[in-house]
Amino acid sequence: MRPEDAADRHEVWQPGGSRYLASHVSKAFNGAGVLHDVSLVLEPGSVHSLLGENGAGKSTLFKIMSGLYEPDAGELVLGGERLDNLTPRSALQQGIYLVPQEPTLMAHLSAAENLYVGALPRHGRTRLVDWKRIARESRSVFERVGLDVDIETPARNLSIAQQQLLECARALVHNCRVILFDEPTSPLTPHEVEILFDLMQGLRSEGLALGFISHRLDEVISVSDQVTVLRDGRFVMNAPRDGYTRDELVTAMIGRPIGVRTRVRRSSDVTDRREILRVEDLSAPPTFTDVSFTLRQHEVAGLAGLVGSGRTEIAEAIFGLRRADHGRVVLDGTPLTHRTPRECIDAGLIYLPEDRARNGIFGEVDISRNVTAGIIPHLPRRWHLIRTDRELLLAEHATTRTAVRMQTLGSTINTLSGGNQQRAMIARWLLAEPKVAIFDEPTRGVDVGAKDDIYDIVTDLATSGLACLIISSDLEELALVCDRVLVIYEGRIVGEVEGEAVTTAHLGQLVVEGAM
Amino acid sequence: MREVQLILAIGIVVAVTTAAHPSFVAPGNISFMLADASATAILAMGQTIVVLAKGIDLSVAPILGISAVLVAFPAQDLNLPIIVGLAIVLGVGLVLGAANGVLVSIARIPPIIATLATLSVYGGLQFIVAKGEEISNIPNSYAALGNDDIVAGVPWVLLIVIALAAAVTFFLRHTNMGRSIYAIGNDATAAHRSGIPVRRVTFISYTLCGILAGIGGLIYLCHVGSVDSTTGTADNINLTSIAATLIGGTALTGGRGGVAGSVLGAIFLSVALTAMVFALIPAIWEPAGVGALMLLAMLFDRRSTARSPSRTRRPRRAP
Repeated sequence: MRPEDAADRHEVWQPGGSRYLASHVSKAFNGAGVLHDVSLVLEPGSVHSLLGENGAGKSTLFKIMSGLYEPDAGELVLGGERLDNLTPRSALQQGIYLVPQEPTLMAHLSAAENLYVGALPRHGRTRLVDWKRIARESRSVFERVGLDVDIETPARNLSIAQQQLLECARALVHNCRVILFDEPTSPLTPHEVEILFDLMQGLRSEGLALGFISHRLDEVISVSDQVTVLRDGRFVMNAPRDGYTRDELVTAMIGRPIGVRTRVRRSSDVTDRREILRVEDLSAPPTFTDVSFTLRQHEVAGLAGLVGSGRTEIAEAIFGLRRADHGRVVLDGTPLTHRTPRECIDAGLIYLPEDRARNGIFGEVDISRNVTAGIIPHLPRRWHLIRTDRELLLAEHATTRTAVRMQTLGSTINTLSGGNQQRAMIARWLLAEPKVAIFDEPTRGVDVGAKDDIYDIVTDLATSGLACLIISSDLEELALVCDRVLVIYEGRIVGEVEGEAVTTAHLGQLVVEGAM
Repeated sequence: MREVQLILAIGIVVAVTTAAHPSFVAPGNISFMLADASATAILAMGQTIVVLAKGIDLSVAPILGISAVLVAFPAQDLNLPIIVGLAIVLGVGLVLGAANGVLVSIARIPPIIATLATLSVYGGLQFIVAKGEEISNIPNSYAALGNDDIVAGVPWVLLIVIALAAAVTFFLRHTNMGRSIYAIGNDATAAHRSGIPVRRVTFISYTLCGILAGIGGLIYLCHVGSVDSTTGTADNINLTSIAATLIGGTALTGGRGGVAGSVLGAIFLSVALTAMVFALIPAIWEPAGVGALMLLAMLFDRRSTARSPSRTRRPRRAP
């Protein structure tokens, strides 16, 4: 049954309820379709989960439903009433709240004030802010959501988990009828996730309509009354609790039966290869402590760990983007002291950052110059002036090697899809003729097909002699491409898994619990 | 607390200078320093409102100048009552501040550019309304307000400054608009998502800044007793108002601070600059002194905030 059919049926039974319907919604950004005719019904007193891979359009749908984006087509109906021109403000007034993926709190305002930002309670006659009521109510709400902090604490001093709970508390104080959770659990520890789920169950029994996005299948299966799967911006399936199997969900999400993607097999024995990178006792407490490992030529190693475990910070410290208190990095026999990105690149160590848009891509600059940006001091020159013809050749060569699909090298790089941008970034770093490559979440925000290509590029690089280190939250991905995986837990390496032992289940336990 | 630090800093400057020149704490000099700080303090209040909302207003000097000139002429020629003068400066400040507000909030011109442009435009306007003249024949009632003491060492204008500071603090702390100013200064996108009308709040912040700059013009006229076509701009009052704001602990990045600190910052500047005079440092070093104190305040501010954990660490996807 398509969800909008359900909606039509309920329309007769229950007018004026708090059912929230998004009907035949479509949305495109810059001509690229993100959602195509998707419908979703959130029933009061139930949890409806959205599943799908990155880029499936889940967050976009929630953002439309909370007034952040305007849909190109389709309509939103809350309790039988059409919501036109929904804005974040009118959404809040209607009782719709989005708990965003990344908490958006006011850093310098108190936790209590953050609860009410945009709708501060006021005295009836004077219209002045009612601080007493804010203090009283926020204490009770904090207790309800299990947030144990002083209400006057500035938000910047809260941990990410506390900020997330504060976001939930915000929905409560605004008496929302509909709460949309956009991947609330990703930065949380298992215990914190439990607290959040208890909270969600409580809200559900109070008759609220809850929407939920998570990448963790088990979470989705355990909390949801309904599951809807999106793929590439299209509706794939909808099923009530117990109306599906785990495998069905996975197949619906990735569009093909599981098990098709096979582990990349390469000459697995790398122990006799030459050691190329040695990291010794790298420490910057409390972020990470005593990190030591080595990489060998032809090796693909993985770095697994939860959010906040220090994965990215370690990579940044190796690459000189972040200070380490002590420790050594030796690249191919040469110690890298006082590391800067420039020195690392010149020595043959490259780093592809996690957030390309912020850390790597020059969006408005053409592709060729994005590709050559890492080797500007070494570009071919005549009379100290860069020979642009030769620069173009270099860029062409590199982009061919990483198979960037593009119109011309002269178009700006933000015209490329996420996957192709990532290939262009890899092309950039290949020009530096690296010996070691660190990839931070190389497939994040990349569509499914492009993922496999990126895996191919990584394995090709390893075959050609590079040592690759992949940082990823996607354990399946690590199990797929890595010869060896180091597991980080709270800033320390707690385990190393090699060869056939690299499995998702095995890694998962280490990552979450820090021990077997 | 920046306010406490500033009171201590003022105390130290006063103590050191008094040790060398006991006349530094003569009631006449204390009264002079406080009265001299008053126009800066009032402008800094407006500047603080704008900076709290993550803006900046570089045009407060000519707003002060135009307001002062437009009151000075009828005051000289018609013996205009001060209360009517107040109405004039409120109107002038409102209009010019609102114009800034329109440029920043509706035309979406970056504040530093918008107000740099209006600095120039308003500066020209001041020349036109002043007709190139200096107006110095101001009625005694004005001079009395600007220079007389309540008791020895405590000028009337200090009372005005304190009353205004109390009013603005109350506004920022206890009204919805005041809290919205802090909110958009913290994170305009998040504020928008929380349903705060960001543009309206931005507009109001510049309008209030203009109004306070207008009041500052009236106080300036009363205190100094003369105005001309470059009053305000020539006094470097843009710089001192921003300096007082930053020294007072309001973050240039928005969302943190308040006007009490700015008033103390203005008094600190006035005391420090007077101390320079007592130390026989030539007056040409005054702007350099203001700049140096501003830089010191920024360095101090960075050190005191650098250690707290940042909230900007982005949560990442976990398995």
